[in-house]
Amino acid sequence: MSVATTTSGRKISINMSAPWVQDAARFVVLIIICVGMAFVTYDEEYGFVFLNLNNIANVVRNASILIILGIGQTIVLIAKDVDLSIGSILSLTSVVAAIMMNRYEIAFPLAMLAALLSGSSLGLVNGLLITFVRIPPFIATFGMLWVLFGFAYLILQGSVMYGFPDTFRVIGNGHLFGIPMPIVVMAVVFAVAYFVVNKTTLGRRFYATGANEEAAKMSGIKVNQTVNIAYVISGGLAALAGLVLIAYTNGSEARIGEPFLLPVIAVVVMGGTSLHGGQGSLIGTLVAALIMAVIKNGMNILAVPATWQNLVVGVIIIATVLIDQWVRKK
Amino acid sequence: VILLMVVIFSFLSENYLSLNNIVNIIQQNAVLLIISLAATLVILSQGLDLSLGGVLPLAGVACVLTMKSLMQAGTADAPAMLAGVAVGLLTGALAGAITGGLVAIGKLPPFIASLGMMGVLASLALVLANSTAIYINNPIFSFFGEKLDKYIDAPGMEYISMPTIIAILVLIATVVLQNHTAFGRYIIAIGGNELGARLSGVKTTFWKWMVYVSAGAITAIGGMTLAARLEAADSIVGVGWEFDAIAAAILGGTSFALGKGGVGGTVLGVLVIGVARNGLNVIGVPSLWQPALTGSIIILAIVAEVLYSARRDVTA
Repeated sequence: MSVATTTSGRKISINMSAPWVQDAARFVVLIIICVGMAFVTYDEEYGFVFLNLNNIANVVRNASILIILGIGQTIVLIAKDVDLSIGSILSLTSVVAAIMMNRYEIAFPLAMLAALLSGSSLGLVNGLLITFVRIPPFIATFGMLWVLFGFAYLILQGSVMYGFPDTFRVIGNGHLFGIPMPIVVMAVVFAVAYFVVNKTTLGRRFYATGANEEAAKMSGIKVNQTVNIAYVISGGLAALAGLVLIAYTNGSEARIGEPFLLPVIAVVVMGGTSLHGGQGSLIGTLVAALIMAVIKNGMNILAVPATWQNLVVGVIIIATVLIDQWVRKK
Repeated sequence: VILLMVVIFSFLSENYLSLNNIVNIIQQNAVLLIISLAATLVILSQGLDLSLGGVLPLAGVACVLTMKSLMQAGTADAPAMLAGVAVGLLTGALAGAITGGLVAIGKLPPFIASLGMMGVLASLALVLANSTAIYINNPIFSFFGEKLDKYIDAPGMEYISMPTIIAILVLIATVVLQNHTAFGRYIIAIGGNELGARLSGVKTTFWKWMVYVSAGAITAIGGMTLAARLEAADSIVGVGWEFDAIAAAILGGTSFALGKGGVGGTVLGVLVIGVARNGLNVIGVPSLWQPALTGSIIILAIVAEVLYSARRDVTA
């Protein structure tokens, strides 16, 4: 893809399929949806509810967890294939952190470290199942989804653990210069990931491996190692997302990560990342997650019943991918 | 592959495998078997249908709602049930037609198309049922969810339940469909080599679409059987079963590559899942441990199955 960018950059006419054009198009869609939402949610008494600064901070904060998970998923999809285990990794690692802090009263930085390390190691297990045992990624990570959920359930004995130390909760409900911490964490992760994916050799190795594993191998890339790194990143980020989430909600249980899996994949694909590898954009993921959060927020303000919300999300997923495909063909 | 599954299966069940228990396992997993057969057909064609987990509750809800409103309007039990079942089947086929249309005609990746559809269908089931379970009192409909010993006074009847019979009928139908019809051959041809199938004159778009339609209809049968057993249509039951169904298909040797495997193996896959769950119960593993162990057993079985088929491909 990096080659395609440079060649299209030299052309005078705009190449519709150039990644930056598509990202720009998504950004325009985001703005249109925001403007639409602002008017739809206009209230006689309260004015433009949606544009309220608190509400916007709320939207971005809700999107943050989705974006952190989405970054990992984007990287994995660029290098290889899906990671279905992220929801369960999030659950298990946040349960581990919760139990270390509350039951064993271990200092919170150690608990966080343990969660991040276990998340990365579980990612490595995913990677090894795929590169070493050679199980198709869909099946390997799908099996892990079950196993990890089972262990999270076992550790907490089916209960909910809540009430974490205030010092730990800062990463979830604190503020830095008035910006909610989840947004700060997300921004840092995004900046680092963007740099790694777009400006380093490792990033190019992700794209090359995903686009054509054989060719990448021939040109001297350690493809197995590259795929493993991608899954380790995805696992680690799932753990980080879990920490931010439980710090914000102040509670953890075995199913806490489950509702995230499908929206994350939806957002990543809506962001233009291909399920066939070698193609993907972190900015696309970011914008798509914001679109998703804006729509969900709008539905909440409009008091759309929760039962309808999945329907709307489902239609949006299908519609965006259809439109995306249609635009690409043009 | 099937041989290996039998080995694993008997190894797993060494201590507690008896006719009684097998019958029990089949009974508990009859509905899972039905939806797994549907999932297998789709995977055989190199597709994937996550939306089956949404079809299951939606078809049950549609069927029960129709039946209930007809009965309230004074229709007798039998015609009301027939109408309900017809509506349920249509709902499933229609849902499959949309998913299949997106995949075959819209050329969307099956994963995404069916993921979106799952959200839509599961949500529709909730909306229609107002997020609750709808109870139904129709003896003829309930009959399809019960064990036979309630009706026939003969030895052995307590082992046979209507869901099992329905599941076996569906199994026979899918085996015939897969092995003895042109449709079945086309599914396998499309799964093995879609371009090749198209070049040799198979209408791949149409048949691919039909795979999803039939999977939707088969799953609807499962959803209605479940509703009959519960004597109610629950709007959330069945969500998540698509994963069990896919696991059963993979365990049964159906592969995401090359159109290998088939519905026969899926029966074994469902049995492995059933045996894993049931076995842990029988040997008295505390229920807290069960999700972790079931998951581990299933992934080990998949690892074994993948390793085995890889070696077989090398030697073949």
